[in-house]
Amino acid sequence: MRWMGYKLTAILLVLTLTGCGTQAENATLRAERSLFAMNTYMTLTAYGESGEEALQEAGALIEQLESRWSVTDENSEIYRANHSGGQTVTVSEDTAQLISFALEMAQKTGGALEPTIYPVLTAWGFTTGSKQVPPEEQIARLLQNVDYSRIQLDGTDLTVPSGMDLDLGAVGKGYAADLVTEVLKEHGVESGLISLGGNIQAIGSRPEGGDWRIGIRAPWEEGNLGVLEMSNAAVVTSGGYENYFEDEAGNIYWHILDPATGYPANSGLQSVTVIGEQGRLCDALSTSLFVMGAEKAEEYWRANGGFDMLLVTDGGEIILTEGIAGRFTLSDGRTETIRVLNR
Amino acid sequence: MKKKWPFVLVGILLLAGIVGSLLVLRRPDTNMVEIVQDGEVLYRLDLAQAEDQLIEVEYNGRVNTIEIKDHQIHMLAAQCPDNTCVHMGWLNSSAPIVCLPNRLVIQFAGEDALDAATG
Repeated sequence: MRWMGYKLTAILLVLTLTGCGTQAENATLRAERSLFAMNTYMTLTAYGESGEEALQEAGALIEQLESRWSVTDENSEIYRANHSGGQTVTVSEDTAQLISFALEMAQKTGGALEPTIYPVLTAWGFTTGSKQVPPEEQIARLLQNVDYSRIQLDGTDLTVPSGMDLDLGAVGKGYAADLVTEVLKEHGVESGLISLGGNIQAIGSRPEGGDWRIGIRAPWEEGNLGVLEMSNAAVVTSGGYENYFEDEAGNIYWHILDPATGYPANSGLQSVTVIGEQGRLCDALSTSLFVMGAEKAEEYWRANGGFDMLLVTDGGEIILTEGIAGRFTLSDGRTETIRVLNR
Repeated sequence: MKKKWPFVLVGILLLAGIVGSLLVLRRPDTNMVEIVQDGEVLYRLDLAQAEDQLIEVEYNGRVNTIEIKDHQIHMLAAQCPDNTCVHMGWLNSSAPIVCLPNRLVIQFAGEDALDAATG
């Protein structure tokens, strides 16, 4: 009996004294950086020894990309192409790849993604800040110069016809997130999380293991709709509530325009979250599926695959694709019904 | 009676261990938030302790008014064109409240239950 007692003492002592050591050790090497760029607020977090220098390089890269892709910076490659009066300009390799991707997605989505919608967006004031409903004739006139198929890209030679504007806003952040992810991985970062204005890219898993917990904001409300648990994935959301204005009659107008009409997309969806391996694809699809609406989004998913999505409808229904059905948890107190799409 | 002391010792050590572990692992009873302008932390306060107040922050002549009420924080008003930060309501998840034109961010300073937020 006595020896049992000593043994028990020893075992319990060991257990109680070693219980909380590991957690603290893993969490130590955490590097963080935040910056304002690409018209949004970005936070970058990297774990591990090389985190700090990886984030230095990532920050510099983002600033470089912004200086190339900005539609308002007079020195950017995009600005030069837009103001060339229809002349061909040579752009950098990264920019050419992004434009090529944007044009490809515009075609695949039947123009739901429209990289030349910028003049209409400006008429609505979403780019300048003084938001207003433009006259119908003005929208009709501006729409005549909205057509991605007239943009010519030959290698790194870009031609934007006179009177048109190319804007990579709907894909640029996603593409930047992919390039930042590459930089972090090159530096040996195995665990990290970047948020480029809500464009999330999860690198690996949490430093102590397990999936990252990513909140999905409830449209028009405070708080989260639910939580998505993911590793090694990009998660991008588009919703009307992110940027909108109200007129005197109480009508709400938001920043995601339907390129077919030039008016805010009114497809029956409140928000679209796209989950996949590539940030650029998720970014492009979150906007274009929002424009398409639930039915066409489902058709697109069935025809193309390669991503998962979470749609929130006007009627308070959440539509999930099967790949994330087990990874999404609705927040306490939410009343939305969930429908899962299976192949 | 003599033989009982190892068990008493075990009991005391075990209890001390449990209490110690709880103290170490328990989430702190504070709710730290930071008000950051262009990367510089202007205010760091504990919402659990903070009294109701208004905080004004200026950037290039434009003023943001931050309100703390009932241990919650939000952007009450902003002299900026879009007012997105005002629309965001009370700070509640790991998504910060951001006023882009005035480079102002309100965010939780401590570890959150969520790693990031989208939307």
